[in-house]
Amino acid sequence: MVRRFLGIWCLLFCLLMGCGTSYQWSKSHPAYHQAPAGTLAVIGSENAFLLTRSSWFAKKLEIGADSVQVTMRIFCEKKFLQELTQFYPTLTKIPDKDLQVFPEESQRLDERVFMKGRLPEQGISLKDSAGNIPPLLLILHEVIIGTDLKREDYFDYALMQNESPEKKTSNNLSAIASYTLWDNVKQRPLFSAVDEIQIPIQKPNLGNFEQMTAGIVQKIKENLDKGVVR
Amino acid sequence: MNKIHLLLILALLLAAPLFAGDVYSNSHPTIWKDGEILIWTLDTYPVVDPKEFCLSLKRNNTGIGDPKCRLLGEWERDSIAVRYATWLKANMEPGLKAEYLRARHPAMVAKIQSIEDKTVLFMAKDGDNVLVAFFDETASEPKIAGKVRYQDDKIALGDEIASLFFSGPAKRRLSKEERQKLATEPDEYYQEVPNFKGWVGVGGGYAQAKIPLTPDDWYDSHIKSTVRNYRITKDSASLWNFIDDSEPYLTLYAGGTWYGFIGAEIVYRYSKHSVKIDKKDTIYKELDYWDFSQHSIGLNVILSRSFDATKWMNITPFAFLGFQYCFFVEDIGLKSGVDEPSRYYKTRIEFEDAYKGAVVGIGSQFIFAKHYGVSFRTGISSRGFNMYSDPSPDAAAEPTTIGASTIDWFIGGGLEYHWML
Repeated sequence: MVRRFLGIWCLLFCLLMGCGTSYQWSKSHPAYHQAPAGTLAVIGSENAFLLTRSSWFAKKLEIGADSVQVTMRIFCEKKFLQELTQFYPTLTKIPDKDLQVFPEESQRLDERVFMKGRLPEQGISLKDSAGNIPPLLLILHEVIIGTDLKREDYFDYALMQNESPEKKTSNNLSAIASYTLWDNVKQRPLFSAVDEIQIPIQKPNLGNFEQMTAGIVQKIKENLDKGVVR
Repeated sequence: MNKIHLLLILALLLAAPLFAGDVYSNSHPTIWKDGEILIWTLDTYPVVDPKEFCLSLKRNNTGIGDPKCRLLGEWERDSIAVRYATWLKANMEPGLKAEYLRARHPAMVAKIQSIEDKTVLFMAKDGDNVLVAFFDETASEPKIAGKVRYQDDKIALGDEIASLFFSGPAKRRLSKEERQKLATEPDEYYQEVPNFKGWVGVGGGYAQAKIPLTPDDWYDSHIKSTVRNYRITKDSASLWNFIDDSEPYLTLYAGGTWYGFIGAEIVYRYSKHSVKIDKKDTIYKELDYWDFSQHSIGLNVILSRSFDATKWMNITPFAFLGFQYCFFVEDIGLKSGVDEPSRYYKTRIEFEDAYKGAVVGIGSQFIFAKHYGVSFRTGISSRGFNMYSDPSPDAAAEPTTIGASTIDWFIGGGLEYHWML
């Protein structure tokens, strides 16, 4: 009896609070039939990593406040590429400047979820330093690093204007990565997604950042495999 | 001979799918009469000849008028358009919706938007096939995308493309002024809810004591009651004990709603009721007629919701609740030749000066061409206690108010004129 009542109350609560607002965080092109295996090219990683609460991190990590952004960007990118090489041994890196020439565009993932980033123009295939055209490109648009971040606060346009509360305590080191798997031959987005990673922390250290970057790569790999349209 | 014919037909039927084209997506764009068809291709030698293609169009669609066809040289020389064309050729695949073929480059989008009322037909030879995409100004993606099998015979190929992409009725092209006017016109379904909408109306209807779907015995005692001796009835709780309840009425009203939601309405209603005299009573021999006219004035609060059912008709269902004052005016006359009325005539029943009651109901307005309305409504109205007497400690000792609970059901309609502010 009690259990039934509890069930009804839970249901009512859910109905009233509208709980279970679920987002679609990824989108596959109908022609995405095969996930990348072994070979991949990556672009956008140089400027993707962005630290929020940078002065707080600077203090905790004992890095100068002026250089924390650059230091962490380089640190994270290095780790990111290292981790990515584990899954895709023949990894080619294409410099960001090749992508910077294109305008920023938005891609719609869900009713209210839009991700922003640069995509190569239709009809232009990006080349690596040797002049070859890699068939698949992982375009890393942005990785927002901070504490206790939620991706809906950044990508749901209805929530974007909300101010984040002042926080004294931080439970998690978090990262929100938005990326696109790009068909470089036919110039179309095969798979786009926004991922969120939470790493529990006491006091942030560089080890946490390594763990976080590895987590991102792990998640990207998982999603690229899961997103395949069969 | 017959067998050979049959075989030939069979072979043709089997071969037909080989020649038939394949349309990947089609959003049925406008086909213009006397249109301009701009053929956009990357091929060094276009797969169709523009002049021949125009003839194919005329052959396949008799309503298409006199189209003009030419190669779209200005796009063929434009590097952004060339890049998009290359991309389109690589991406047009069966099963891929047109939205995946959208042009992304802002300059390319602008180019497509500036097509105006011309038609751009993209053609690209792709192996054994010719990819064809139909563009107009309304979308930055192909309105029709598909492929046809390539044939060396340009005329046959043109015929095939024409039948696949240009079937359907053709519309007259608009003049420059008409296009400009159309561009500045608001959407036909876009209509702001006016701050205030008012109406005046005149109508009629019918009222009776019995409320539909309720048992008869609630009313029988009132309805069947008659008046003896100018004043005696079974009881006097309802005026329907004295006068006829089922009568037509006339009504005049004016009202308005604010923000299409809440409103008020003032209503005047008139009806005439004869007194139900007991025919057996000989006292009435002197009487020629005895009627009461009912005048009521009421104020209703209206809650409504407005729907644009079509471009020319708006439907506004509403519910109303209000109060009313009723006045009964007696009209009595003796037969000619009766000099002195009876004693009972002089002491006949008198109604209260005014009655106060409530009105509740629902209805709907149908407004045509924004101004001319027809409305229907139904509801229940009451007229009750004497409004001038306050309840007093000796109320029990006082005589009962005549017609303290007079309730009727009404249904009616009206013609209205509406205006908006």
